[in-house]
Amino acid sequence: MTNPATDSTQAAQGGGAGNFARRFVSNTGPLLILVVLWILLMILSEPFRNPTTWGLLALEVAAIGVVSAGQTFVILTAGIDLSVEAMVSFAGVLAAILIAGTSIAGGQIANGLPSIIAIGVALAAGAGIGMFQGMLITLFRMNPLIVTLGFRSILLGVALVWTRGAGINILKDGPLSAITGVIRVGTFPIPVPFLIAIVVYFASWFVLKHTKFGRYTYAIGGNETAARLSGIRVDLVKATIYAISGFLAALGGIMVMGRLQSGAYQNGTNMTLASVAAVVIGGTSLSGGIGGIWGTLIGVAIIRIVEAGLVYLDVPSTAKEIVIGVIIVLAVLLDVIRRGEIPWLHLRRKPAA
Amino acid sequence: MRPGEVHALVGENGAGKSTLMKIVSGVYQADAGEISFKGQPVAFRNPRQAQDAGIVTIYQELNLVPYQSITENIFLGSELTRGRVALRWSDMHQQARELLAKLHLNVDPRTLVGELGVGKQQMVEVAKAIYHKADLIIMDEPTSSLSIREINDLFDIVRELKEQGVSVTYISHHLEEVFQISDRTTVLRDGQLIKTLPTPQLNVDSLIRLMVGRDLSEQFPKEVAPRGKEVLRVEDLNRGMTLRDINFSAYAGEVLGVAGLVGAGRTELVRAIFGADRIDSGRFYLDGEQITIKSSRDAVHHGIGLLTEDRKRQGLFLQMNVRENITMSVLERLTRGMVTNRKREATLSQEYIDSLAIKTSGQDQLAINLSGGTQQKVVLSKWLATEPRVLIFDEPTRGIDVGAKVEIYRMMNDLARQGVAIIMVSSELPEILGMSDRVMVVAGGRIRGFLDRAEASEERIMELATATDRQTIAEVLPDLVEERSSRPTAEQFNDKPSN
Repeated sequence: MTNPATDSTQAAQGGGAGNFARRFVSNTGPLLILVVLWILLMILSEPFRNPTTWGLLALEVAAIGVVSAGQTFVILTAGIDLSVEAMVSFAGVLAAILIAGTSIAGGQIANGLPSIIAIGVALAAGAGIGMFQGMLITLFRMNPLIVTLGFRSILLGVALVWTRGAGINILKDGPLSAITGVIRVGTFPIPVPFLIAIVVYFASWFVLKHTKFGRYTYAIGGNETAARLSGIRVDLVKATIYAISGFLAALGGIMVMGRLQSGAYQNGTNMTLASVAAVVIGGTSLSGGIGGIWGTLIGVAIIRIVEAGLVYLDVPSTAKEIVIGVIIVLAVLLDVIRRGEIPWLHLRRKPAA
Repeated sequence: MRPGEVHALVGENGAGKSTLMKIVSGVYQADAGEISFKGQPVAFRNPRQAQDAGIVTIYQELNLVPYQSITENIFLGSELTRGRVALRWSDMHQQARELLAKLHLNVDPRTLVGELGVGKQQMVEVAKAIYHKADLIIMDEPTSSLSIREINDLFDIVRELKEQGVSVTYISHHLEEVFQISDRTTVLRDGQLIKTLPTPQLNVDSLIRLMVGRDLSEQFPKEVAPRGKEVLRVEDLNRGMTLRDINFSAYAGEVLGVAGLVGAGRTELVRAIFGADRIDSGRFYLDGEQITIKSSRDAVHHGIGLLTEDRKRQGLFLQMNVRENITMSVLERLTRGMVTNRKREATLSQEYIDSLAIKTSGQDQLAINLSGGTQQKVVLSKWLATEPRVLIFDEPTRGIDVGAKVEIYRMMNDLARQGVAIIMVSSELPEILGMSDRVMVVAGGRIRGFLDRAEASEERIMELATATDRQTIAEVLPDLVEERSSRPTAEQFNDKPSN
């Protein structure tokens, strides 16, 4: 038999180049898909060549993008936050009620608090509820899947009870108009929510890359026991991460509510699955510790472009759900393939001896 | 391999022992070459085929389902059925009982495997192998978590298997075991076969020379550093039934070896000191001042470090790179305001990469791609970066090849010379004897005695480590022990003619 060479020396020699290749693929793979989709749509669809369409697309990306950023943090620690879509609805409903000054649905009114205060309250509620979930998950060692699934029900339920199933319509005042407006750069319309999303992504990138909090996020996802034994306050970091997710989901909720000028319990529909899919498509592993924030942005863009593409290509909107479902399953397949966990594919990286 | 032969396979880590055996047992496929088994060329595509042909592998990490009974584990995947569906429970239990009896294992086959000790679990694996009518049993580091008594039991079984014409391939890092049990020995190095010799023609020195390909002046390069003042004192440490009345001190420049059998509470002891487990009571003093240790974080802050026995699961961040692993516990020091200073981080980790001669392609290499010994050095660097006063090594050289072991020992020497108090837990008595200035023997969760380097010997340690089981029982049930000791022992029983 030939050389069953030592894994360790092989790894030592080929490790650098191998890593680089692997990282290159997992970083540019999704980007490549995005570019291909973009070009495809440019060719196939006339309206897609119009910058206004791109602006609309950017607007679409904004809210789900912000939500997915929070989801990225959670999944990096090997957790999952299934409550985000409920938080989007809840925060929107809460802010809308505060602005309208009533929880009875009616015409567009603004008899309550100024929007800036309402937004502040909704964001704080998001962070607080997220923190509370994080504490349940860490202090009582409860399964994040179940805790956040429970809170999904609770938050949706509250939103439903408060609004009695109707949307609370509001009148936008200055600040709310500003953050849902459009800035023109030349002839190029850039929606403010998209700018906010970009700011969120840069901030997330900075936190993950340049702060110890970010390093701890990866460490906990990679090996929670080792993190604990290294003297890291694992519980605090994890609880904070659920607070971040809650906060960003609430911010996404404000964006949706502001755009629709209505706080309704359906505002967040499907955003949980979409956010998880975006994170996974973007290269973050569901088992934690591997991935990054820019991949998620690309993942969000891919999902939204596919959705938009379906519209522009006259696919009936009823079929949208099917396509999104397929994308999600494919994304998870991508995840296991990337991690080399399918034995019969022989992609498995040999463990170091 | 000859029939009825025990063939030892030795080599440093990464020499290709496990890879070779995985090819034989069908886990990996060979790129080229041929394996013949019982005169026939074979190429197993998966472990199941190898098993059907009569080759069974017992891995280092046992492949048993803890929540299922012994019977279920033995028959897993080849259950006896009536029709094709209904399980024949009574037949399976009966056969399992017979198999266990053959192995002198006196337990009900309905017992859950998870309730058995590691030694007995190993026996269940052997029973499984016998059930599959194995002609060749491959044992990969079977003794790594067994106590001395269990090892002896295992060896008895191996000898019996041998008499029945079963061949055993025995992979081990423990050279004494190789001499004890094997007929022939094959040495692998860097994926190549170095030599196959009848074991009696070898001795430890010549074997090590074959393994590392160079002379190893000594296995344990111990340098005795002057013992400084007390650094850490532990008083009245208690934790349930696992740790009781623990009182001891660790001194600067001293290597305190912690010896004891598996399950004696050694790991529990160091975890308790490190704040990894909750304790019922206990006081800790650092340099004479009382400190509180409620979490690992507290311990790290007070300058205590722990190299856990299970590097991969408890020490390393496999998907993070060398630099990130090294600086994990000192990020706070490297962070000003919110931002981590990357330059200082790189400088710091490079210092350790250089001073510990960490073999890596660069700071950005992922920990998962490093060899066992190198990984251990990375974990050690993480703790050295915290500038510890007390450094606890739990099984520091488990699964590490001979060459890297010596390097680790040298680092212990250096640390001791710098005045670090070292606590070293080890299951390997030669290591304890070779490296400790003082040995603390633990059994049944209690400290059973201290031995100075000069007076420590395997016999003295074992005496303290084993006598205690009875002592512990004696404290609770004095009558029972009295009655027991008046009974004939098992050996006396066996001497009588049996029917």
